[in-house]
Amino acid sequence: MKKLELLNLTKSFSSFKALSNVSIELLSGETHALMGENGAGKTTLIKVLAGILKPDQMIMKIDNNIQNIYSSIQLKNLGFNFIHQELNIVSYLSVAENMFLNHPYPKKYKTIIDWNKIYKLSSNALEELGVMHIDVKKKCTKLSTGDQMLVKIASCLIKTDTTPTLYVFDEPTAALTLQESEKLFKVINNLKKKGAIILYVSHRMNEILEISDKVTVLRDGIKVLTDKTSELSKEKIIRSMVGKDLSDNFPERTGNINENIVIDVNNVHTKNIKNISFKIKAGEVLGIAGLSNSGQREIFKMLMGVDNIAKGKISFMDQKYEPTSPSDAWKKLISFVPRERRTEALMLKMSVKSNTATPHYSKLSKFFFLANKKQENLITNNYSKKVQLKYNNINQSIYQLSGGNQQKVVFSRALASNPKLLLLDEPTRGVDVGAKLDIYNLIIQLTKNGCGIVLNSSDLSEIMGMCDKILILKDHEQYKILENFKINSQDVLANFYESKKQ
Amino acid sequence: MKILNLIKKYGTLIGFIGIIIFFTFNLPSTFLTAKNFINISQQISMLAVVAFTMTVVMVMNDFDLSVGSMASLAGIVAAVLFSMGYPIWIGILAALFVGVIGGLFNGFLVSIIGILPFVATLGTLTMFSGFAFLISGGRTIFGRDIPSEFSSFARSGIEISSLDLKIPFLSILALLILFIVWFILEQTTYGRRLYAIGGNTEASFLAGIKVKQLRLSAFALTGVGAAIAGLMYSSRVASSNPTQGSGLMLEAIAAVFLGMTMSEEGEPRVLYTLLGVLILGVLDNGLTQMNVDSYIREVLVGFIVILAVAFSSITKKRN
Repeated sequence: MKKLELLNLTKSFSSFKALSNVSIELLSGETHALMGENGAGKTTLIKVLAGILKPDQMIMKIDNNIQNIYSSIQLKNLGFNFIHQELNIVSYLSVAENMFLNHPYPKKYKTIIDWNKIYKLSSNALEELGVMHIDVKKKCTKLSTGDQMLVKIASCLIKTDTTPTLYVFDEPTAALTLQESEKLFKVINNLKKKGAIILYVSHRMNEILEISDKVTVLRDGIKVLTDKTSELSKEKIIRSMVGKDLSDNFPERTGNINENIVIDVNNVHTKNIKNISFKIKAGEVLGIAGLSNSGQREIFKMLMGVDNIAKGKISFMDQKYEPTSPSDAWKKLISFVPRERRTEALMLKMSVKSNTATPHYSKLSKFFFLANKKQENLITNNYSKKVQLKYNNINQSIYQLSGGNQQKVVFSRALASNPKLLLLDEPTRGVDVGAKLDIYNLIIQLTKNGCGIVLNSSDLSEIMGMCDKILILKDHEQYKILENFKINSQDVLANFYESKKQ
Repeated sequence: MKILNLIKKYGTLIGFIGIIIFFTFNLPSTFLTAKNFINISQQISMLAVVAFTMTVVMVMNDFDLSVGSMASLAGIVAAVLFSMGYPIWIGILAALFVGVIGGLFNGFLVSIIGILPFVATLGTLTMFSGFAFLISGGRTIFGRDIPSEFSSFARSGIEISSLDLKIPFLSILALLILFIVWFILEQTTYGRRLYAIGGNTEASFLAGIKVKQLRLSAFALTGVGAAIAGLMYSSRVASSNPTQGSGLMLEAIAAVFLGMTMSEEGEPRVLYTLLGVLILGVLDNGLTQMNVDSYIREVLVGFIVILAVAFSSITKKRN
C-alpha cells in the first residue's frame, strides 16, 4: 500500500457533528501527525478508521482504488494496526501470549499449541524493533507501561499472512518516560523506513515537531491545516488548534514564597520508597522527576496515607502528621489530584456535583449526618466557575464532559477545601492546550494564596516551567534535590541518566 | 424522538401500567379494588423489606445472597426463644441481633478480607441456613410455641371504618422501612458516600471515603432488613421453619434490578426498588387470580424481569 485516502469523512452523534467533511491523505514511509484539542475529533477519526464507528459518509481509497469496507476484521486484514493510549494488555498473561492475542496460535499436529514457536516468533518480533531486554515468558504485570507499549507494537509485527501497512498511535507517550519515548521514536522511524504509513496523535508539541513529516490539525471536527512539518512552527500549529494566539509557554509566576513551612518530610521510608526528605514552604512548588516508575506514585501514596510511614517523620503545619488513610489527609486540608482520571479520581456516571463534593461530605452536612444540599450546590457552582468548567448544569454526568473538563472537575474538587497542600500527579496528562494553560494559571493562583504544591509530571518542560525545586528519584529512592530555579533541562536530564547508571 | 426518550426513561413504569390495565380487563370485579391492593401490599411486605435493604448494598455494586437464609435463621431464633418461654421482646431483639451479626460477618468477609460478595455471601447463605436447621432441629416451630400476641401483629392493622378497610401493620412496617432506607440513602452524607463507592471504589477511597467501614456497616443494614422480614414472615404464618425465607433473595435482587431500569444512570434508588417490588407483587397476585399455573407463573415472571432489564440496557447503550 502506497497511499491511503479518507475523503469527505463526516460523522455526527445525534445533533453534534464530531467530524464534518474531513479528508486526509496518508503516504507510505511518512509519519503523519494528527493534532487538535480534546473534542476536536481525533479519536472519532481513529475509531472510524478502525471500523469501531460507522461514518455517516466517507470514501476510502487505497492506492486510488475505492474500498468499500467497514468491518474491523476486514481492516485488520488490510494490515491496519492501532496502538491506543489505554493499552489492551491482559496483565496475567505472558508477553508472548499477549502478542498473540490478535493472531492465531501456531499449532503442532494441528491440535496442540506450539509454545516454542510462539516464544520464538514473539522474541523475533521484539528484536525487529530493536528491543532486547524483554523476556517473552514474563507476565505482563511485571513490565513497565513503556515496555507494555513496545510489546503491543511488536505484536503487530508477528509474521502472518498480512504485512502491516498502517500504524495508528493514539497518544503513545502519555504514559512513557523520556527514555522510553526515545526508544519508541526509534521504533517508529524503523517502521517508517520499512514503508509503513504512520498516523500519530499526540498533545506534545516537541515530539510532533521532532518525529513527524506532515501535520494535520482538526478543530471542532473540521480540518483546518495540513502541511509539511518543516514548513510549520510550534506557534502556527497551536494557533490553528485553538483558533487564537496562545503560547505554549508557562504563565509567569508572580506569587512570592512565604517563609512558613507547610510540610517537612524528614528521611521517610515506606514499604515502597526510601530516604525521602523535603520541605515545602507556603506558595512553593516542588517538582518530582525521574524515569518512570521510580517511586513518583509512592510519594503520593505516602503523603495520602495509603502507604504507612515505616521510618522517619513528617510534620505538617508544625504538627506531627501520620496519616493512615486518605481521609486523614483530606481532613488536614491536603488535596490530591490522582494520575488516572477515570479509575482513580472520578465517578464517571455520577454528577459534577457528587464528584466535586465527595471528599468534603463531613463539612457539607447538618447535624453531622444530614446532607446539606444547598451547600453542595453552592460549592459546586463556585468552584466550577473558578476552574472555568464548561458544563450545562451541576447534575450533568461526568462522562458527558470532555477530558480536559473532567480534569477540571478533579481540580475543583481539590480546591473546594481551600487546601494547604495540593498533590498533583500528572495533572495535565491527556489534556488539551487550552485546558492546560487554565490548569497552570490555577496552580499559580494557589501559590499566591500560600498553598504548597507537589507536582509530578513526565513532561519535563512542565516541571521546568512550574517548579521552584525539583526532587529527583532513582529506583524508589531520593537521589537529589535541585534547589536552584535556574537549572536547565539538560542538567535535569543529565541527572536522570546519571542516576540510571549508578 | 421525544416519545422514544419517554419510553426510554419510563419504559418500566409504562410496562407496569400496562400490566395493571391487562389485569383490570381480565379480572374486572376483583383486581382493581382497594381491598385487593391492600392485600397485595401485605403479600409483598416481606419481600419489600428485603429488597429495600438489599438496595443499600447494591448501591455500592455489592449484593447479598444470604438474605433469604438470614430471614429463615432470624425467624427460627425468635421462635426457639419463644418456645423456651422467653418474652416476645427478647425473641425479637435476639433475631435482630443475629441479623446485625450475620450482616457484619458478610461485611467483614467482603470489605476487610476482600472476598467477592458473590462468593462470600454464597458461603454465608449456606452457613445461615445450616444454623437455622441446627437450632430448630430441622423442624417447623408452630402452634402453642408461638405466642399469640406475636402472630396477631401480622393479622391486625389500622381500621378505616368509613371505607371498611384495614391497613395491615405489615404493610405499614414495610412503608416505615422504605422511609428509613430512603432517608439514609437520599438525605444523609452516609448515603452520598455509599453512592460514591458504587460510582468508583478506588476514587472514593483516594477522595477520603472510609470505604471499608462503610461497606461493613451497609452489609449490617442489609442483615437487619433480612431479619425483620424473617420476623414478619413468622408472625404472618404463626410459625417458623428453617426454609421460610428461601424465595426472598432472588426476588429481592430482581426487584432492585427492575428498579434500576428506571434511574438515570442505572444506579439503584430505593423508590424505584419499590416499583420493582410492586411489579412482582401485582404480577403474582393477578396471575394467581387468573388461575395461571404456578409453574407458568414463574416462567412469566422471570421472562418479564429479563425483558425489562434487556430493554433498558439496549436503549441506554444506544444513548
